[in-house]
Amino acid sequence: MIEILTLILSSSVILAVPILFSAIGETYDQRAGVINLGLDAIMSLSAFVALMVCFSTGSYLMGTLAAISVGGLVALIHGFACVTIGINQIISGLLLFTLANGIADFLNTYLSGYKVFLAPLKAINIPGLSQIPVLGPILFQQNIFVYLAFLFAIVFGFVLYKTTWGLKIRGVGENPEACDAAGINVNRIRYLCLILGGVMAGFGGAFLSLGYLGLYGSGIASGRGWIAIIVVILSSWSPYRAILGSLIFGLGYSIAANLIGIGIGVPSYILQMLPYITALIVIIFMFKRTKGPSALAVPYRRK
Amino acid sequence: MKARFEKYISYPIGLIIALSIFSATLLAMGFNPILSLEALIKGSFGTVFRASEIFVKVAPLLLTALAFLIAFKARFLNFGAEGQLYIGALCAYLAASQMGGLPSILSVPLVVLASFAGGVAWLAIPLVLKVKLAINEIFPTIVLNFTAILLVNWLVTGPIMDPNALIPQTRAIPRETWLPIMIPKTRLHVGLIFAFFLAFLIYLILQKTVLGYDIRAVGLGPRAAKHGGIDFSRNTIIVGILSGGLAGLAGMIEVLGVNHLMIMGFSPGFGYQGIAIAALGRFDPIGVLPASIFWSILLIGGRSMERATPPVPIHMIHVLQAVLVLSVLIVQEFLTVRRQK
Repeated sequence: MIEILTLILSSSVILAVPILFSAIGETYDQRAGVINLGLDAIMSLSAFVALMVCFSTGSYLMGTLAAISVGGLVALIHGFACVTIGINQIISGLLLFTLANGIADFLNTYLSGYKVFLAPLKAINIPGLSQIPVLGPILFQQNIFVYLAFLFAIVFGFVLYKTTWGLKIRGVGENPEACDAAGINVNRIRYLCLILGGVMAGFGGAFLSLGYLGLYGSGIASGRGWIAIIVVILSSWSPYRAILGSLIFGLGYSIAANLIGIGIGVPSYILQMLPYITALIVIIFMFKRTKGPSALAVPYRRK
Repeated sequence: MKARFEKYISYPIGLIIALSIFSATLLAMGFNPILSLEALIKGSFGTVFRASEIFVKVAPLLLTALAFLIAFKARFLNFGAEGQLYIGALCAYLAASQMGGLPSILSVPLVVLASFAGGVAWLAIPLVLKVKLAINEIFPTIVLNFTAILLVNWLVTGPIMDPNALIPQTRAIPRETWLPIMIPKTRLHVGLIFAFFLAFLIYLILQKTVLGYDIRAVGLGPRAAKHGGIDFSRNTIIVGILSGGLAGLAGMIEVLGVNHLMIMGFSPGFGYQGIAIAALGRFDPIGVLPASIFWSILLIGGRSMERATPPVPIHMIHVLQAVLVLSVLIVQEFLTVRRQK
């Protein structure tokens, strides 16, 4: 029993990672006033790119770098459409979703002759800590992506709340006119946050293919990008609380995956609904009390 | 006159941008873009059958586009058309499979009602959350898309699977409930006329009724509308029912008109494509007619590109479509902003 629990908890930490990466990036997006609904597809595309580049160069680092570059580039399109031109961010995000998924599926079919499998990145055991019973395997026997995600979440939180940069980002999302009057370049900050959001979704995608599965399948993100945006709102736009939020969903995915593995007689499709039902419950009970950045999804133009 | 000209100029510009990116990508990948485009055009208009296939796809696309735009007009963003389509199709299947022996004149309207109700039911939770708790509808509707697809997957692989079938699918529905074919030897069914009729109906509702006036007022200026005495909750509930129902009908059209059974993953994202088509058609019930036809031409032509040598994966068409709509919207917005300056 204790083994199963350890397994479920340990994989919920792992499964929280792609959500956490994307959620903290999206937190910055939305704090600056831009919503990016293309996250899910950016994750899929960068997962594919990570796998292919890693396979051809033999370097996990190169794979990850390629993935985050692609993530940033796709986000740049969203930036041009919504920040520079100012089209509806919701519609643009959805088109970005179609676009990035289309590119990923196109490349995947085009290169379908190459069936790429890699060994997922090995876990790094933290000396001493990893020997603690139960807690050790859950928290301190994971691969580098897992440690990075949680580290990033803390750094992002610190920057957002304790530095001038963070203040500017929050200001731009709350009152762009005032920021502009104070000499802050509103759209530049929005662009930077968007690129950062894309880069983080790229990390999430790279984790899926390089750090977790070791392969790629069409639509690999399978809704994790959408879940990440829900986590952003659930954690009321705080990178710290996003850790907790993504762990909740990590647990949902983990219970589903492990129960499917054990085979308890509940059909796998029903179990796969678990994260989405969790999401719905979270929305019903938590979203009422949240209030987002005031200028969210409103393009800024100088009068 | 100038505004009118600017209204349409975005389409050729957008198309040129999209086709340039499309050709450049194909060229970079080692394909011949001219041959690909030729295959696309021949593939969509080459034969009567292929041309009819365009309109087979138009029916569900038009309905999901209408589903999105009617709600969008009243500032309700129904991103859940995909899920509502699956549940509408499921209800249509369940209803139709009970109607063996009943004359079509009775059974088909009942099935249509069932699918409409199914679509509405799947939107009910987000709708209630929006009206009662003021919770944004985007995420509940998207979450329910995934849930609906998984639910249908479970049903067609288990409880309602045809035990004799080799792949996960149900038994066929009784012949009396099949929608009649309009042109022999094609799959073009009367559902297309039904979809056109609904587009016209939505146009009438929006332009010629008090309800339509209210919906447009909310869309144009929610504050002014509120002061004008428009009941927001009532308005949202009505567009929600219309929107969910239309998406449910799109599912019905696929079951009764094309597949005649339920099968896993029968919708290639009609619900999401409807949103892009609605945007391409300027959120106008008449504008989405040409938009959905053009969209469908690309899809059917894309299939021939996939059969050409060397085969171009169909996903290139999805990229082309996304770039096209994005470019059109960017050009439109650019021109609007410039005119206001």
